[in-house]
Amino acid sequence: MNPPKQVFTKIKKIDADELNQLKKRTDSVTLVIIFFIAVIIARLWFLQIHNGSKYREKADNNRVRMLDIVAPRGNILDSEGHTIITNRPSFNIVWVKEDSPDPDEIIKKLSLILNEEIAVLLKRVRESLDNPRHIPILLKEDIDWKTLVYIENNHYDLPGVRIEVLPRRNYLFGDFGSHLIGYTGEINQKELEERKWENYQGGNQIGKRGFEKLYEEELRGDKGVVYMEVDAHGFEQRQLKGKEPLPGNDLQLTIDLDLQLEAEKAMIDKAGAVVAMDVNSGRILAFASAPPVRLEDFVGGISTKNWQALLNDIKRPLVHKTIQGQYPPGSTYKIVTALAGLSKGAINSNTVFYCAGSMPFGNRRYGCWKKGGHGAVSLHRALAESCDVYFYQVGLKVGVDSLAEYANRLGLGHKTGIEFEYEKSGLIPTSNWKKLVKGEPWQEGETLSIAIGQGFNLVTPLQICQMTSALANGGLLYKPFLIEKIIDPEGQVVKQFLPTVDVELVGMDNYLALIREGLVGAVNDKRGTGKTARLKDVTVAGKTGTAQVVAMEKFKEVDEEDVAYKHRDHAWFTSFAPAENPEIAVTVLVEHGGHGGSAAAPVAKMVLEKYFAKKYGLGTEEVKEGQAPGQ
Amino acid sequence: MFRIDRQLIKNFDWIMLVAVLLIAAMGLVNLYSATYAGKTVGTTVFIRQLFFFIAGFSFIIIIHLFDYRLLLKWNYPLYAIIIGLLLAALLMGGSIAGTQRWINLGFFRLQPSEPAKLMLVISLASYYYRRDTGRGFTLHDLLVPIGLTGVLFVLVLKQPDLGTALMFGAIFVSMTLFVKLKWSTIGIIFGTGAAAIPIGWKFFLKPYQRQRIETFLNPESDPTNSGYHIMQSKIAVGSGLKFGKGYLKGTQGHLHFLPERHTDFAFSVWAEEWGFAGSLFFLAVYFFVILWGLNVCLASRDKFGVLLAFGIVSLIFWQAIINLLMVMGFLPVVGIPLPMFSYGGSSLMTTLIGIGLLMNIRMRRHQVTKN
Repeated sequence: MNPPKQVFTKIKKIDADELNQLKKRTDSVTLVIIFFIAVIIARLWFLQIHNGSKYREKADNNRVRMLDIVAPRGNILDSEGHTIITNRPSFNIVWVKEDSPDPDEIIKKLSLILNEEIAVLLKRVRESLDNPRHIPILLKEDIDWKTLVYIENNHYDLPGVRIEVLPRRNYLFGDFGSHLIGYTGEINQKELEERKWENYQGGNQIGKRGFEKLYEEELRGDKGVVYMEVDAHGFEQRQLKGKEPLPGNDLQLTIDLDLQLEAEKAMIDKAGAVVAMDVNSGRILAFASAPPVRLEDFVGGISTKNWQALLNDIKRPLVHKTIQGQYPPGSTYKIVTALAGLSKGAINSNTVFYCAGSMPFGNRRYGCWKKGGHGAVSLHRALAESCDVYFYQVGLKVGVDSLAEYANRLGLGHKTGIEFEYEKSGLIPTSNWKKLVKGEPWQEGETLSIAIGQGFNLVTPLQICQMTSALANGGLLYKPFLIEKIIDPEGQVVKQFLPTVDVELVGMDNYLALIREGLVGAVNDKRGTGKTARLKDVTVAGKTGTAQVVAMEKFKEVDEEDVAYKHRDHAWFTSFAPAENPEIAVTVLVEHGGHGGSAAAPVAKMVLEKYFAKKYGLGTEEVKEGQAPGQ
Repeated sequence: MFRIDRQLIKNFDWIMLVAVLLIAAMGLVNLYSATYAGKTVGTTVFIRQLFFFIAGFSFIIIIHLFDYRLLLKWNYPLYAIIIGLLLAALLMGGSIAGTQRWINLGFFRLQPSEPAKLMLVISLASYYYRRDTGRGFTLHDLLVPIGLTGVLFVLVLKQPDLGTALMFGAIFVSMTLFVKLKWSTIGIIFGTGAAAIPIGWKFFLKPYQRQRIETFLNPESDPTNSGYHIMQSKIAVGSGLKFGKGYLKGTQGHLHFLPERHTDFAFSVWAEEWGFAGSLFFLAVYFFVILWGLNVCLASRDKFGVLLAFGIVSLIFWQAIINLLMVMGFLPVVGIPLPMFSYGGSSLMTTLIGIGLLMNIRMRRHQVTKN
């Protein structure tokens, strides 16, 4: 080390030569500095000016989280504007895992509070593992008030546990019109793909069946959104702005609440269908399929146990019997046979056939349901007392293909085209059909069966009701419809549905009048088969029917009560009223109900009674909102 | 020694003082925003930094009382003190996140690697000044400087603080290249350096340090950790656009997306809130200080002043460049502050002492030394 004194004594001054050299060096150092300044400014320009908006967007994405607000679905109203289906707030338990210091402890506590197995809760947690950490995990839906209050009171002990309020379907009348209304559920992968251009996301609710599905676009509304500013840890800082959700449109049905409730009440404990239709428009007033399904079971996904129970139920609750149930029409088909006979000139009002209780044809005897025979019968009595032999004769005279022709003209054998899902077409056989499908020629004997509505014939209750309406209104086959109008949240009518005539039967007024007379007789004559549908103040016209499930020969000697349920006949009754100036047609099918007169006609009577009682203000108890049928 | 005559006062470097005060003001304004949390006025961090500025400016004044050439005398004792401090930090320093960088003095946690940077500048300047023959340095002449640098380098790398250790290397290389070297020496230095990089990578770097460099080279591969910092910083700078989001309105900083926003990433906060225009203004002032400091080299009356001024300028310059390139995503996150702008007492004091020395050299440019 140099001695310090030296330092001050020997100052190495800078001479001109050295200064020159120094200048050169500092100049090149300046160049280096300028180079780096240029690099930094260029980089700054690139980040802030050239790509600035991209980074601005990234910064906003960083801090702004979008949260959807579910729009309340539209209400479903009856024809008079009573609310059938609306929404109620439901409370879901959600959990933000990252807000809980001790996740295991929380799950343990929740398991006790929610009365759920730990494994069930863990499964839900595991299913959401892929989601970002701040997204709440849904642990339990629709908790009850007691649980809600408990969790609210103890929320300091449950960090990260939150309550989310969502609108949920409120079924004011329980299972009212369950097959029509349908249900909603969480959107599945397939539905998401089908609707990828629409504003759906996983976890959204979507209509799965019935109106909820068919009118999903109308009912769903527009979801709203809130923008939340969050910090880097995902904690919400403040609400920025947003869009209010727009509720869905309301559906106003043609269904009359009182009539539907009455029909469902009448069908309690039975399996089958009731269709009531305004004969002058095609509006469906009641559309009941029994037994109903419990809609609440489907909300949030049906359990396997419940599903299996539904599948195995002998009364087939999953089948929407008004349009999916296909049955032989039984004697209600005699309307077709009569119309064919009259139109083809095979019979007229004076034609008389003799019924001895059976009729020989080929090498066998074809029986009439009345073993003692009807004696000499005209068309009126044949319809009123449902004489089979009379219609065997008519059937033989016109042939199977003419029967089929008139059946088709009356709307049988093809779909009515009602705007609803899974409608069945039924089956009206012709000689060609048998050749094509069965590969066998038509047997004349089969025509006899067809003429009284047995054999290959298959119809749906809706088809029979449509046919009955056309008979009642003088030959106009209206397309049945279920929706009256669609109303937006402001109450403006978005869409009004109008009656449409599918087929007009021309030049058959007299024939139809004759058949109507016969049907009046069936209800009002002394020996009419449908007497049980008779009303005091209104003339009802109707036709009973009994559809064989298996050839009853086997059970001939057996008492009806002892026949196994699934082998019993289906009972039909189709009717309209008032006979003089028809307004309403009611068709009833009771699966395995036995005879139409005893099983089906009383149901029709209840519905008709309700209709006229309402119309004339007769003493009917008003249905109160929220009252489930049968309670 | 303590004689401050009129001449000297007349030669006081007011321009430098004003420019540094301007940077200090911007730094404090920015620090207030970076640590702003709601309505509380004056965070502890802000107040501490304010205190350090006041202390630092007092140092600048005090330094003017002495002739910088005293450093030639005190060079080695000071160097020994720094080594002692670094060892103390290693042995008893508080370990924050696995590093031993600080000595807790109660009111202040001293980070000895900061003054060590300035110490290295002083030591190299003294050595080269004494040994300068005008014929260029040979490799043999460089053994002492390499040793002076190497001791500091190893001690700091042990902490471990790779960024600061590399700063020593940068200072050494800059200053050594600035003095006259023989071409053969230059060749040997670069050859050894090139060979040392892979060896250093393999044996000296800690895994997290290696990872930092790897993520820098491929930032998208690890968006949640190291790459995250760079990404968020780029977003902060970029989203400032032309005129910024406005003071206290930067979202990246205030919502905690930016890491280390009051220390290493302070400039990101500035760029986000003041935009391209504000950043240009800051850079203009900042690089004016650097170029003005470089100009001291030409003004100095002797070669020690030249070397000392150059070393101090390169010290500030390299830290600023590395920090700026880092926050803009051009360099990996190495933990180098932006001198005078980032929060941190040790760095700020060291830098201001350096500035004080620069001003001292300029002030004494015409002074005739009396024997």
